[in-house]
Amino acid sequence: MDLQFSREDRVFREEARDWLNSNSPIERRPHAGQTMREFDLAWQKRQYEGGWAGVSWQKEYGGLGLSLTRQLIWHEEYARADAPDNHLCFVALNHAGPTIMARGSEVQKQEHLQKILSGQTIWCQGFSEPNAGSDLGSLKTSARIDGDHLVVNGSKIWTSHGHLSDWQELLVRTDPQAPKHKGISWVICDMKSPGITLRPIEIMTSPNQVHFVQCFYDDVRIPLANVVGAVNDGWNVAMSTLGFERGTAQIRDMIRYAFLLEKMIGKAQQRLGADCPLSKDEIGARLAQLRADMAAARAMTYMVVSRAQAGISGSESSLMRAMVGETQQRARRLALDILGPYALENPEDDDWVYYYLRSFSITIAAGTAQIQRNIIGERVLGLPR
Amino acid sequence: MNLLLSEDQVQIVDTLKHFLCEEAPVARFRPPAPQIGNQDHRLLPRLAELGFLGIAIPEESGGIGLSSAEEMVVYREFGRHLLSPAIIGSMLGARVAAAAGDAALLHDLLSGKARVGLGNPRGSAGIGPHCHGEFHLIESIDAPWVLCCNEQGAALLRRSDFTAIEQVHPMDHSLSLERAKLESIRPAAWVSMEQDAIYTRALVLIGAFAVGLAEATRDMAVEYAKIREQFGKPIGSFQAIKHMCADMAIRAESALCQAAVASLTLSDHDPGAGFHGTACKLVSIDAALKNASQNIQVHGAVGFTSEADAHLYLKRAHVMDQLWGDTRFQRERMLHAPFAG
Repeated sequence: MDLQFSREDRVFREEARDWLNSNSPIERRPHAGQTMREFDLAWQKRQYEGGWAGVSWQKEYGGLGLSLTRQLIWHEEYARADAPDNHLCFVALNHAGPTIMARGSEVQKQEHLQKILSGQTIWCQGFSEPNAGSDLGSLKTSARIDGDHLVVNGSKIWTSHGHLSDWQELLVRTDPQAPKHKGISWVICDMKSPGITLRPIEIMTSPNQVHFVQCFYDDVRIPLANVVGAVNDGWNVAMSTLGFERGTAQIRDMIRYAFLLEKMIGKAQQRLGADCPLSKDEIGARLAQLRADMAAARAMTYMVVSRAQAGISGSESSLMRAMVGETQQRARRLALDILGPYALENPEDDDWVYYYLRSFSITIAAGTAQIQRNIIGERVLGLPR
Repeated sequence: MNLLLSEDQVQIVDTLKHFLCEEAPVARFRPPAPQIGNQDHRLLPRLAELGFLGIAIPEESGGIGLSSAEEMVVYREFGRHLLSPAIIGSMLGARVAAAAGDAALLHDLLSGKARVGLGNPRGSAGIGPHCHGEFHLIESIDAPWVLCCNEQGAALLRRSDFTAIEQVHPMDHSLSLERAKLESIRPAAWVSMEQDAIYTRALVLIGAFAVGLAEATRDMAVEYAKIREQFGKPIGSFQAIKHMCADMAIRAESALCQAAVASLTLSDHDPGAGFHGTACKLVSIDAALKNASQNIQVHGAVGFTSEADAHLYLKRAHVMDQLWGDTRFQRERMLHAPFAG
């Protein structure tokens, strides 16, 4: 066990810190719409031009090909600099890109990877369906082979930023007779294809906040050349990269939340005033326990990186994900209680109420807290299904 | 940066595990075990021979000279085996004796010859060059020495320094408990926090002990959920039970990771050690208490009996919570600890 970083790693940290401090956007990131798209693409482009894009991407695809430790350092410095997360680039950088790198053809790599890294394209995910959420394997959107095309019919839902995306990583059923995990294909879908219609879905944060869409596919023709991996091997293709969502990026969130908590302590002290010391108030007790639990959640991200470095990464990362998600949700709720009566106001220029409402998605998205617990129970603890 | 145990550390843990499985199985508390107390002090000379008592004492003081990270993993095993926490008295007492330059006492403590009980303040108590106040004495009946520790430092007192000693019936019957008082006594040896951050170390070690409790109860619940059948299936296949076990695993892992970070900041003399040590005690006591409760629930009626070991872990978790500052007290400290980002 040790917590020390090598001299080279510390030099890297300095360089990352310097670059982020002088290049990270200062203006507020818009919460929605085309302006958000432009903001995220511009920030990605700036990272690319500065030579900092794709820390975890292999060098041959334009990334920095850095070790897990360097990725961790990058995320720590990113959060310390309070650089905005370009969420719209998340699927491309963490799912679609790595999947194409791992399983795509040369043509697919040529066409997409550099555009993703340089901030030219936005990707969305087409996995969940109205009747296939936690039970993703039972998805029904069909794709029939017609010459050198697939003809897609059906519907996808909870597609984050689908209305702002250029491309979609789409899971379709190409063999309805096969067992449910065997007849699926992973396809690159052009969101401008004829036959796609989008229904915007408002989220619970505030009126007119469109975060995701439902996609309807009506005889949408997609070239067979857009299948990544083999036809009917899509489940394996999808599983080959789901781990990316559980990796070092979590450290960035935990550091952000640690700083948020410090602000919350300051605000709580201000609100309660000198007559009523925070340490005698239940809010103080909750802040203190959360401070401890967040330190532990961050320690868990270090453990996940340590395991991955040793080549023994597996389902144990669900332990970290569960802890990280729940401490974040608790923090958002506590922030609301610190606001007291002002929790009823949801102003444009303040995030606390917005992110409290937003926090309900943390234990739902990318595998609900309950699915996480099934994974922990069955794959980590060996309990029967 | 690497939180995994090194090969040497794994070897240390394996040696200790093997020893404790042979010599201190949890079954030692089942009837006809003595009604109150335990015989764990008999293991001290052998733990000393194996190098565990002085594991983190510098070599020039007669110890093994390893870091608090090794000490942490050792305490995790102590917790798993419900070893008497008097061992904290012996091991931290040796640090006090070393810092105070009392070579004879240091030798007696490191060899496991002299026993040390634990003094835990009840209400306000002063620990320093002069000690006073009301205490609970844990595992002290046959111990000539008592270790007391708080944010000011750590003191080794003689049992004979205490007055009004009165044995009380303990919640955790595997440990002896007394009430006692001190009236402005000069301790035999005293070390301030500035000299050696023994209190921070104590928080990490108590935390590591609690990690062991949280892990042992998790394992006990999981094993039982795999074999106990109802409605024709192992109960672990039901999500109500499975998710409870998953929660226990999350808590145990978070406590272990925090204990690892806390022990490393301590051995690195990192200014964040105080922050991380306090967080370590808070997180691991929470895990130990909750896991112990849920272990009883997973076991159902048998978990409520003294035949199952489940109650032992719950009671010990409460002892470790109370020792040298309970959750309420540690939360207050956590709130004011300088932020270690």
